[in-house]
This record gives sequence, structure tokens and C-alpha cells, in this order.
Amino acid sequence: MRTDPVLLEILGNKVTACAEEMSYTLQRTGRTLYVKETADFGTALAHLGGKFFAYPRAIGVSGFIDLDCGPAIRKAGALEPGDVIITNHPYESEGLATHLPDVHVIQPYFHDGRIVCYGWAFIHASDVGGRVPSSISPTNDELFQEGLLIPPLKLVRRGQLNPDVVAMIRANCRTPDANIGDIKAMLAALTVGERRVADMIAQHGLDTFMAAQEDIIAYTAMRAREVLRRLPDGTYSFWDYLDDDLATDIPIRVRASITVKDGEIAIDYSGTDPQVLASYNIPTHGKRHPWLTLRLAAFICTQDKTIAHNEGLFRHVHITAPKGSIVNPEFPAAVGVRHATAIRVNDTLNGVLGLAAPHLMPAANGGVVIPVVLAEHDEATGQRNVIVIEPMVGGMGARQGGDGVDGRDSGISNLANNPLETVEADASIRVLDYSLRRDSGGPGQWRGGVGLCLTFEVLKDGSAVLGRGMERMRFQPWGAQGGRPGALALTILNRGREGERDLGKIDMVLLNRGDTMTVLTPGGGGFGDPYLREPEAVLRDVVRGFVSIEAAERDYGVILRDGRIDEAATSRRRGNRPEPALRQPIDGGPARDAWETVFDDRRMTELARRLLALPRVARGEQRKRVVAAVVPALVQSKANDIAKVLDDPARQSAELGRTIERLPAPPRPVTGRAAE
Amino acid sequence: MRRARVGIDVGGTFTDFVLSNGADGSLTYFKEPSVPSDPSLAVERGMAALLDRARLEPGDVELVVHGTTLGLNAIIQRRGAAMALVVSRGNRDVLEIARCRMPSSYDFSAPKEEPLVPRDLVFEIGARSAFDGTILARPPVEEIAELAETLKSRGVAAVAVMLLNAYVDPTLETEVADALASRLPGVLVSRSSQVWPEIREYERALVAGLNAYIHPLLERYYATLTRRMGELGVAAPLYITASNGGALSVDSARARPIDTVLSGPASGVVAAARIALLTGRQEIITFDMGGTSSDFAVSKGGEPEYTTRTDVGEFPLILPVVNVSSIGAGGGSIVRVDKHGVLKVGPESAGADPGPASYRRGGTEAAITDCYVAAGIIDPDAFLGGRMKLDRAAASGALERVAQRLGMTGEDRAAQAAEAALSVTTAKMATELFKGLAQRGLDPRGFALIPFGGAGPTHANLLAEEARLAAIIVPPGPGTFCALGAIMADVKRDYVRTVRRRLSDDGAPQALAATIAGLEREATDWVGSEGAIVEATQLSAEADMRYAGQAYELHVAIPAALGKTMAAREVGELFHQAHERLYGFRDVDSAIEVVTLRVRVVGRVPPIAIPELDKTATAVEPKGRRRVFHRGQWLDVPVFLRDRLVQGQGFAGPALVEQEDTTTWIIPGWHARVDAVGNLHVSRG
Repeated sequence: MRTDPVLLEILGNKVTACAEEMSYTLQRTGRTLYVKETADFGTALAHLGGKFFAYPRAIGVSGFIDLDCGPAIRKAGALEPGDVIITNHPYESEGLATHLPDVHVIQPYFHDGRIVCYGWAFIHASDVGGRVPSSISPTNDELFQEGLLIPPLKLVRRGQLNPDVVAMIRANCRTPDANIGDIKAMLAALTVGERRVADMIAQHGLDTFMAAQEDIIAYTAMRAREVLRRLPDGTYSFWDYLDDDLATDIPIRVRASITVKDGEIAIDYSGTDPQVLASYNIPTHGKRHPWLTLRLAAFICTQDKTIAHNEGLFRHVHITAPKGSIVNPEFPAAVGVRHATAIRVNDTLNGVLGLAAPHLMPAANGGVVIPVVLAEHDEATGQRNVIVIEPMVGGMGARQGGDGVDGRDSGISNLANNPLETVEADASIRVLDYSLRRDSGGPGQWRGGVGLCLTFEVLKDGSAVLGRGMERMRFQPWGAQGGRPGALALTILNRGREGERDLGKIDMVLLNRGDTMTVLTPGGGGFGDPYLREPEAVLRDVVRGFVSIEAAERDYGVILRDGRIDEAATSRRRGNRPEPALRQPIDGGPARDAWETVFDDRRMTELARRLLALPRVARGEQRKRVVAAVVPALVQSKANDIAKVLDDPARQSAELGRTIERLPAPPRPVTGRAAE
Repeated sequence: MRRARVGIDVGGTFTDFVLSNGADGSLTYFKEPSVPSDPSLAVERGMAALLDRARLEPGDVELVVHGTTLGLNAIIQRRGAAMALVVSRGNRDVLEIARCRMPSSYDFSAPKEEPLVPRDLVFEIGARSAFDGTILARPPVEEIAELAETLKSRGVAAVAVMLLNAYVDPTLETEVADALASRLPGVLVSRSSQVWPEIREYERALVAGLNAYIHPLLERYYATLTRRMGELGVAAPLYITASNGGALSVDSARARPIDTVLSGPASGVVAAARIALLTGRQEIITFDMGGTSSDFAVSKGGEPEYTTRTDVGEFPLILPVVNVSSIGAGGGSIVRVDKHGVLKVGPESAGADPGPASYRRGGTEAAITDCYVAAGIIDPDAFLGGRMKLDRAAASGALERVAQRLGMTGEDRAAQAAEAALSVTTAKMATELFKGLAQRGLDPRGFALIPFGGAGPTHANLLAEEARLAAIIVPPGPGTFCALGAIMADVKRDYVRTVRRRLSDDGAPQALAATIAGLEREATDWVGSEGAIVEATQLSAEADMRYAGQAYELHVAIPAALGKTMAAREVGELFHQAHERLYGFRDVDSAIEVVTLRVRVVGRVPPIAIPELDKTATAVEPKGRRRVFHRGQWLDVPVFLRDRLVQGQGFAGPALVEQEDTTTWIIPGWHARVDAVGNLHVSRG
């Protein structure tokens, strides 16, 4: 390192503060709720290679630390002082933008005629055109339905806003004023960054500033590697599922295999399913990318709480993401709801890290973000009133030494909920219950966090309830190291009343006055054998209502009488446990077990490999055919009960093997990552 | 003759006193070590010593204004009352779910806050109102009786009641609370609609809950304090400082202690804003550097900036309070070199115990205070007027270990390490300051820095240089500034009502005006009973407004005349203008909603005299010189005594100014001048 250790600390603080000051400026001058309240934006400083050496710690989107501005910069052509590049094109920017509402800008910062670094900002624009308002819908199956595409080009030339570009953007979105307002807020943020960079160079000199960029990253990389060395050397594999691919009832599998050696970690997503005809694809360009390393970043930042946020976190991380898979889709795969898949990528990465270091990683989080939306007719204005009642999340996974957090989940986004009082004032509903969901947390020596329960009564006929992001209705959030899985998500019409009905996965449901709707979110997975949980902790959970008396006995073997632990009965019960003690190393529940008796890892990895070798347009159809040959119901109808449709696993398994064998086999790669 | 006013600030380490003698316009300062186990004992001892120093009798005191962090500490350390919360059916988890956010988006081992009331002490009751105040369910007598029995058996000392939508109409909540109170003698029952009737059930439950939580503790404290003052012979009325920068009679503070929890930092800002105004400075940043952290606040035109989004401990607080931001760097922040050889300052703090190495109380690691000592900025023999000897060798020894790990060599390596650590701290403070100003959309260059607290003046010039501020004003008694702020505070209270009306609705202006009038009556009645010190009273109104459909409101000041009519067009125009100022556009097609109305009443307390320095005195020479390590070399620096400085005296940096409660360090390139009342103005050039 060239920078002295005092200056390194000072400049490290300064560049981070600069990135944060850019964010505060963007938030203050921004125009839309996405920017001002949801804080769906980001700012950073990128070095000449295009990666970030300074990223905010506590404002804006936390997960984009490892984005790469390089391709967008190179494609924008020669840069002059005062130029600003704009893009939202996931494929042209090679994964800088990951869905179209994310509009990115990059400004080269000059000193004495040469570029010294870049300022970067992005906002989630409220609408960029496309098929549906707000531009995002899971049912979009092609990028072109998702809105205006802006390849990397110059929004500002030598300080002059390019009116042609602005006119083109304005004409292609539903909320032009709001978008341009937010874009101007980004320009304000870039200007603040430019000023601070100039200040730093004036105070510390250009050479120091340039050397510090690299040294700040190297310092973070050193500390990150120290954390990664806590993972024992070896190769570990894990996979997890999205319930279905929207078009059919076939689950989507995400698979990750990691190879760890002395704090270097290679993550291979081979075996992950091909891209889908829904907007669940994550455009990463097949390289190291934030959506593929988010949980790893969380792991590092959990282990080292003061580490600076920059590219250095990932310097010892290597990625393989097969082209054509859902984690590296080919143009023009739709990408709008890529975060739904990202949640499961997170779970998968969490799981595989947990295999390497069980004591450092939690069991699965609830793994959903469900904005429960009400659309009702407003007599006064004659318009449809559309409001988010609550953004519902599940509980968090338990970990060695700690129960999972109840009713919250910061895994992918960390959004605030809505006060019931404002909800009732804004929408014609009455909230009957907004509570923690008892017995939903995965049992374990450390209990998974319980999910949430929301029940509301509709006060107007013809109100529609929409539920995007309904997941974990089939495959439970897994427990780890003997811990049991969390409860599945559920939606119930008129719960406990006449006409009670399980609604399952809803897209939209129409309700009449007096109807009630209940949404129950999943609990986090448990960690460790529940029979090893301290009986006092079980008693406390019962007293506080997180666990029922029945579940205390059934799941934990703790028997309570009159509010006390019956020691004798408990030790008897724990001594003769009714089922095998450990289901190592993870327990995904009966549906996952049933699924894998037929669709096992070896076959599904091979299927993914063979599908990816087919022409892009043929893959989806072939995949459907393969599954249809084994379980026709999964292609013909929705919401199948996995255990029921897999009624003859031996036969079905054999059939799957034969069907896969009929697909052409691509040659196996000669070596693994070493060749890269 | 009862002309003396006494301001008291009870801190963790010291209890500070300022006495303003109306007879001769003099100020007397005093610091007494705090007694954490019995805080009013330090008040009693200090009061006696203060009066002695000022040569006054207890009977000469006309007013005592007192600030304490007792309530805040009880919340932070979770030492409040055993309490229960009563809520509407279906809302039992209001505290558990809170606003659903986790403290960190990265760290998955960071727990959520421990709820104020454990889940088994939160009770649902069949009492529910609709959003418009219609009562949907009233609990039968038996249900209330049963709940009261349960509460009794659980042995709680306080109960908070928060029913959904009670902000609209308090009737149902009051019924429930009264019915419980009548069955629970000796138990405080706090209700949300009375304490703070604002929409948002979680935040309102916390206001009511925290109020109940600290009530028994403060009740005991104020009773003891009142008794001890009486025993001393101080019969003057007692006032308590509030988080909004005002003061309350002790009876008002006892009835609603939550109003006082953030009063400590607020008082200092009030004093700074007043002092700045007297010097003609409109825009200031206060800088209160303490042991573990430093507080910043912005004031303009003599008025501190307020916020309704702040935190106490782990909880959000929606009461209007002086907007103070805290950063984790103070005199006790520990200086370390990490295993990669990088120099780190804080966030760990040595606190007051064991304290910095130079305290010789068992602390071995270097802290920022040790850096001042090792660099020669603080005289180890003159700390706190010499009442506490610091150990320079211990400071240097601790810093030498830091120097060694940094690869520094030579005789002055401890001083080098000290300067390096001070640079890291200064850069951290400046960057935090820039961020805070960026959030507010302010440019630092127009602001003067007003430092106080024990270390504020010591570090202020380093910070001003780094942050490129134009000027620093060091007030005469920076170490006891919060106590001074206490006696400068006016009597002040805020009232709120959530109304949620569209301006364009029929009858809305009349209804809004009636609500304001009602709040003003309530406020006027209250201030009328706050005692004889209150002179003129002043009411001001604000409306929180938004375009229909927006999620958050802007606070818009409503001029007095307009408040009487709330004429839709004028009120609407004020909102459009405010929106335009902040966001750069107005939306004339959108309906405007008034969500919440606020009224503040200020009862003016006659200002204290700020004594002028003797005009005729002639400047005296520095008391001596000492070496200070700055920018890599030892400078020979004159040391002035603060109480010997005279009006109009000026001198250039490098210079040190020592006084009992702090040392001011003026760096080369800056110049100091003493004004008529003894403020030290430090500016470039």
C-alpha cells in the first residue's frame, strides 16, 4: 500500500462521506416517493476501471456495491468535462442496470484535463413506459414490453443537457415530470460529488487521491479475505426453489456450488434453471454481480461490522453463471421482477455458505416480500384508488446462538410498513388483525422468527386485492443443522367465518363488502435440534405467545402444566423422541423432500446443462416437455399438491432419467474454473 | 432581594450550575461531580457551593431551572417502570412489529430493538374506533374489571392505553383508561390521545408508553429534589427544561415527563442561538463535544431547528424537539491501530470510567483527551481548574504504543501519533457535518461554529479549518453551557391534533380554524398556570399538509390572522409555495390535505443580563507559554487566561486560552478577538 495508514483512514472516511453526501443531496432534491421515502436510489464513486471505491453505508439501496460502470463508460465514447452518461439497458450496460426503471447516470470527474474517477447515481424511476403502469409486471415475457430502453449515451454534453435525449425520455413514460425531476436530482448529486473530489485533490494532492482509491479497496479486500478465511476450504453445493415459473406450475431451481480455498471463493451457478418466460430473470452478464453475491456481502459485513463498502469486498470472489440461465439470461429476456429470483439466490447462497460454516450462517429467512395491494373504486373522483395496505415479509432465520427476528426480514429490502391508522383513513377497509403468526417459526434449538398475519375486512363491494411476490407457498423456508422449516405462506378468504376458503397464490381476487382477507407470511427456518432448546426458552415463547402449548410439546418435547415446565414429563418426552433426531444438514419440509425423490439434484443439474445447449427459443418448451412427460399436471394446471402429483416416484424418476437422456448431450468442459 | 436565577444541568460526570445575579448582572459558574446513585444530592451540594461562590443566600434565588438526563438514561438502560400496554383487539403486536425495519440492512446478526413492553404485558381489549371516530366496539364492564385484576396480579407500576384511531376522538380511550385507573389505585395510567393525539399508532403508543415508563422514576426524583431545595432554604419555583428547548413548571414536567427526555442537548443549542443573535450572527452550527460523542445542531435567526423525527434509545419519537445530530467521536474515543496497521478512532469510548489513560483510573488505551495532553494543547495540571490532575506521561505512553504500530519514530512520536489521531477525528467530524448539512440543503460556508462542552472549544478550530467554516464564537462559560441555556429558556409547550381534511371540502376551513382555536385555548390555559415568571405569551400554528396521495407531509407555518379563518386559497397557496421551495414544483391539479395541526405556546421569561467585560481594563500579557505539536512541529504558544481577557483584545494564533472548564486552541492562520460580553470570536486571517 502506498498511502500512509493515517491518510488511508482519513481519505477512506472522506470518500465514503462524499458518496453519502451525494445520496443525501439526491434524496433531498428528488421528486418521487421511491426516492424520498423508499430510498430506492444509490450513489457512489467509481475508479478508472468502473468499479466502486466509495459507497454509502447507511442510505439508499444497500446491495449495489459491486456494480460495474466500465461497459457503459466504454460504450459512451470519448468523454469530456461536463459529460454525463445515462443508461437503463440491462444488456447493453452488461448488468449495470438490472431492470428498466433503474436509470443510471455516470459522470467523469476531471482534474487538469484527465479523468480521475467517476461519479455514479441511479434512481428507481416511477415509470419508464411499457405494457403496464410502473413498468413492472411478472407476466412480461420480453424486455420490449418493459419500457423504454436507453443504451449508454450522453445525457449531458460539456455541461449542457441534451434536449433530444430528454424529449425522447419524456415521450416514453407515463410520469415524465417526475422522472425528469428525479434525473435532475441525480445530476445535483453528481455535482456535489465532483465538488468534493476537487476538494480532496486540492487538500491532499492528486497522487495521494489516485493511490488512495486503490489502497482503500485493497484494505477492504484484505479485511474481507480475513472473513472469508473463516470458511473452511472445500467445495459445497446447495439449491433452493421458487414455487413455480408463473407460466406453468413447474418450480424454478437456483443452484450454487462454492469452492473455497484460503479465503478465495468461487461461486458456480451451474445447474440453475434456464431463463424463463416471465420477468424473473437476473441480467448479470455472467460476471461477478451484486445480485449473485448479496448474501456473501451480508456475511462479510456481519462478521466485520466496520468494513468499508467498496469493490474490495468481492476481490476474492469469482463467479460462474451459465449463459442462458435465469441468473445470466440472454437478450431479450424480461427482467422486471428479478428481485423475486434474487431472494431465492440469496437463500441459496446463504445455504451453501451455511454448509461451509454452519455456525456462521442462519437458516433460511421467510423469503418473501408481498405488497398486499387494494384497488377500490373512488366515488368522489371516479377513479381507482390503489394503495399498498402492507408490504408483508416473513420472519428471519435462526442462527447458532440466536433466534430469528420475528415479523421482519432485511434480507433483500428493508422497507417500513404502513401504520394501520393511515391505511384505514386511505382505504375502505378495517384491519381486524395485524400480528405475529404463532407457531410459524421453524422449531429449533434456536427458533426461526415467526411470520406476520394480516386480516382485514373490505367495506366496499367490488374491491380487488392484488398480491405480487406470493412465494414460499409450496417450499418451506428451510431449517438448518437439525432445525425445522418455517411455515408456508397462506392466503385465506373469510378466515373463521362462513365461506372460509384457502385462496392459494393469488394474482387478483375480487371481494365484496363484509368479506375478510387473511395473508399469513412464512416463518424463518429453525437452527439446531429443537429438542435441545432450553425448556425455559420454550416456556418464555409460550408465555409470550410465539409458540402454542401444543407446539411446545410436539416440536420441542417440552411439556407445560399450569404455566410451568413439567420437568419429569419433559425429560421423558425428550428421551423417547417420536422421530429421528437430525435431518442433516437442512430440512426443507415434506414438499421439498417429495419433489427431490423424483427431481433430484443430479438429474436436474444435467437437465439444466442439456437445456442450455439448445437454441435459446427451444429451451423453455423443451423444459416443459420434459416435466410434462413425468408429471403432466404441472404443465396442465396450477397449484398442484407436490406430494399428490408425485404419486409414483420410482416410475416418475425413471421416466425423468429417460426423458433427459433423449436431449442432446453437450460435451463436458475439460476443466473447471482453473481454465478461466 | 430575590433576583438570582439558577440553571442546573445534571450530566453523567458533572452537575453544572450557572447563576445569573439580576442585582449586578453577573454570572457565576460551578461544576459539581455528579452522584449517579442519588443525582439530586449533587444538586443540593452544588447549589450550596454555588451560592457560596456568588456570595448569595438561598432566599436570594427567584427561579431554578433544572435539566436532567435521568429519563433518557432510564430509557437507554431500560431501567423504567414495570409497565403494561393496553391496545385494541387485533393490535397486540404494535410494539413487536413496530415499523418493520431492521437496524441494519447488511448485518444479519443485529437484533431488532427490545420492545418497550414485553409481549405478555400487552393486553388487547374489545375497544375500537373507526378512522372517523365512530365507536365500533365498547368493552363490557366485566372485561375491564377482569383486565384490571390481571394488571394488578402482574404488579405493574404504570399502564399506557393506546387504542386504534384514538387520535380522532379520545372518548373511548378515556373511558377505558379512567375505568382502569379507578380500579388500580397508585398505578399511573397514561393514554395516548391525551399525551400526543397524532396519527400513527406505533409512534403514538411509544409516546404514551415512554411517558408511563419514566413517570414513577422522575416522580420520585422531583419529589426528593423539591424536598432538598426546601431544606436548603431555596423556596424559588422549580422549572424543568424540555426537549423543545423550552422549560416547564415542575408540575407540568411531573404530569408529562416525556416532554423532557431530550432536554440536555436542546438547552445548549438554545443558549448558543441566543448568544449568536446578540453578536449579530444569524446562522450557526453548535458543536457540543463530550466524552463519548459530539452533537451538532443548526440554528437560524436565534431559533434552533426542530424535528419531529428523532430517536430516544432504540425508539422513534415524534414529539417536536430541537434537531440535534450525534456522531460517535468525543474526548473518550479510543485511538487504536488495527491489525492491518490502519489508525482508528472510536467508536469505542473509554467514557469517564476508566476514562482516557491520562485520567489514571485504570484506562490504558489512548483516547482523544490523551492526544490533547500529549500534543500540549491541554495543560495536565490545569484540567477542570486544576481539580483533576491528568498524567501526561500516561497519555504519552499510551500514544507511543500507537506510534510504534504506525511506524513513527523519533522523540516526538507520541505527539505525532496524537496529531494523527486528531486529524482522523477532525476529518470524521467534518464529513459528518457536511452530510448533515447536505440533508438540510445548507452550505457550511455561511455558518459560524459555536463550540461548548468540555472539549468543544479545544477541537473547534481544527474542525472549522477542515470544514472551511468562516468563524468560531466561543461563549464565556462553554463547560456549563447547558445550565446557562436552562435559565435562558422560555416556557414552551406544543400541542397537536391530526385532522386529515381536504382543504377543498365543504366546511373544512371552519373546522380547521375551530381546531386551531381549541388548541390555542388549551395552550393559553396551560401557560396561564405556569407561574409568575411568564410575561408575554405567544402562540404560533403550523399545518402538516400534502398533496392527496403523498405519504409524507410538509410543515407549513400558518400566520396568526390566517389561523382564524384557514381560508382554503391562502392556506393552499402557502403549501404550494413550501412544496415549490423544497421540491421545485407545485401540483395545482391535486387536492391538498391538511393532516395535522400544531400549536406552540411560548411564555416569555425575562432575559437574563449578559455581563459586559470591564471596558477600562487593559490587556494583560499571557500567563506563560508552552509547546504545542501542530503540523509536524513544536510551536511555542502563548497561553492566555480567559478571565483576564479584556474587551476588544485581539491576538493571533497559535494561542491557547485556558479557563476552568475548558481550553480553547487557536491554530496558526486564525485570529481571536474578545467582544463586549467576553465571547471569543475566532476567524481566519
